Amino acid sequence: MPVALNSRFAEELTLTEVTAKHPEVPRLICLKIDVQRRGVHYTERALSTVDETLHQLRGAYIFGSRDASLSPLPESLLLRDGTSILVDPTPLDQNPYIVDLVDGRLALTDGGDFLEEVELWQKPAYYDQTTSSGIPMKYVVTARPQRLNIFQSSFCHYWANDKGCLFCDIVTHQTQQRAELRIPIRLNPKDVSETIGEALKEPGRFTGICLTAGTDIRGEELFDQEVEYYIEILQAVGENFRTRKFPSQLIGSAFNERQLARLYDQTGLTSFTTDLEVLNERLFAWICPGKAEKVGYQEWKNRLIRSVDIFGRGNVGTGIVGGVELATPYGFTDEEEALRSTLEEAEDLARHGVTTVYIVWVPRPGSFFRSQRNASLEYYVRLAWGLHSLRVKYNLAVAFDDYRRCGNHPDTDLSRLL
Amino acid sequence: MAIELQKEVVELLQDSETVKVLATVDEKGFPHAVIKQSFELGEDGNLVHLELFESSRSNKNLVRGIWHNRKVSVTLKGKGDLSYQIKGRPIKSIIAGPVFNEHYLRVRERLGDVGLAAVWIIEPEEVINESFSARLAEEQAAQVFCGHLDRIAQLSGARPETRQ
Repeated sequence: MPVALNSRFAEELTLTEVTAKHPEVPRLICLKIDVQRRGVHYTERALSTVDETLHQLRGAYIFGSRDASLSPLPESLLLRDGTSILVDPTPLDQNPYIVDLVDGRLALTDGGDFLEEVELWQKPAYYDQTTSSGIPMKYVVTARPQRLNIFQSSFCHYWANDKGCLFCDIVTHQTQQRAELRIPIRLNPKDVSETIGEALKEPGRFTGICLTAGTDIRGEELFDQEVEYYIEILQAVGENFRTRKFPSQLIGSAFNERQLARLYDQTGLTSFTTDLEVLNERLFAWICPGKAEKVGYQEWKNRLIRSVDIFGRGNVGTGIVGGVELATPYGFTDEEEALRSTLEEAEDLARHGVTTVYIVWVPRPGSFFRSQRNASLEYYVRLAWGLHSLRVKYNLAVAFDDYRRCGNHPDTDLSRLL
Repeated sequence: MAIELQKEVVELLQDSETVKVLATVDEKGFPHAVIKQSFELGEDGNLVHLELFESSRSNKNLVRGIWHNRKVSVTLKGKGDLSYQIKGRPIKSIIAGPVFNEHYLRVRERLGDVGLAAVWIIEPEEVINESFSARLAEEQAAQVFCGHLDRIAQLSGARPETRQ
């Protein structure tokens, strides 16, 4: 059931009001945040400019979309400053921004007003290739403007015991992808190596590699099998480089020091991220029951901090689902309090060399939280500036997860100034 | 408001012997001026700057420029006293796609194993002729009080000099 958001938006500050109130945050970033909050709808005129031989259309992804469909629409928009907006097509009754054709150019509009010209991501050359085992390469490794994404496994074991994170739809989406697109649930390292090799033939296209997957709790020690599989995939990726290390990010579970040391020593991995999702122990227990049961909030934090000893300052991060701390009925009821609390925890992590990044929470149809609503634009703008300010204060780089490598975190878009 | 660059400025921009200096402003308002030889004229009449370093102060200031609508300037110094300053605004940063790729390949052909952080598009808004001879003529024509009196003094026994 789609979420009706019109009444909520009537109470909140508009984009113009927020940018006037917070001039330190660039208007283009505020716009990106709002587009991610509200989603987009493409007019027929806009869609007439989409060329599947040139443009990157939605394909394999770890999470589902707002419209719960896998229709071949543009994967992302690109603003004139190089900022990406990863955004889903959204039903019109949810009040999305409109992508239309204005004077022959694609544009973001709202209420009939032109806001900004946009471009679509270009499809990389390897997307038209197939691995020797017959799998389309675009289903093995997906692309961002400057990053290669390897979603090596799309099943999460927390879901097996009905303890998946409440905002997440990874398993619902995996089922749909497998049925409609025949995307493999688990990747073969040989397919990954071949695809990376093909991708690297395009000069100037990619500057980083990211691996992520659903959690695998199995093994002699918790997460051992997940680590083993990551090592296998990373070593396959490494076959394509003449240097031992290559710019890379792994977004995995809360591995212990022994596991992290293996990843660092046995592969070319250069950065590590493990997501706390929400920076509040009480809410973590409610929203991430599987993570809370297997590791716990404090131990998750401790493992993050210890990761810095292995990967180094500026190479360890944690992701949060920005705004989920306001989920009802147990979340914060006041945005000011939620922001203060979240930034306080983020500062504690920053003090120890761990950087926090956020994505704009989009309640997805395939998730438990499908009927919830996300936070106000002003909340997200202040969260972005707050997390960026912590990086400035504690001199923390975040190149592994910034506008160029990821493009999905409004706060790290600001790190171009670091 | 964008302006069209006159022919002499375009020729200076396109001359590989011309020294080109990019001046930007940081978050504290301090200027930062560096030699950047990678300027060219785009098909649409805007300046195209190839920024090789993601981490450069110029690059960060250009980001500030596009985000907060701040101007930058490009000074061109040719042979003799020929010099122009172009003031403009960064309006686009291209980090991927066919335009980026084309420049990436050309830069590497020209300079070897280097990277390319962004292709910046700067929209010119004002051009100032900074050539010494032009500035001298301008000042002398318009600014009666800017010269020292000894330059126009009638010294006793000396013939009046023709004021230049």
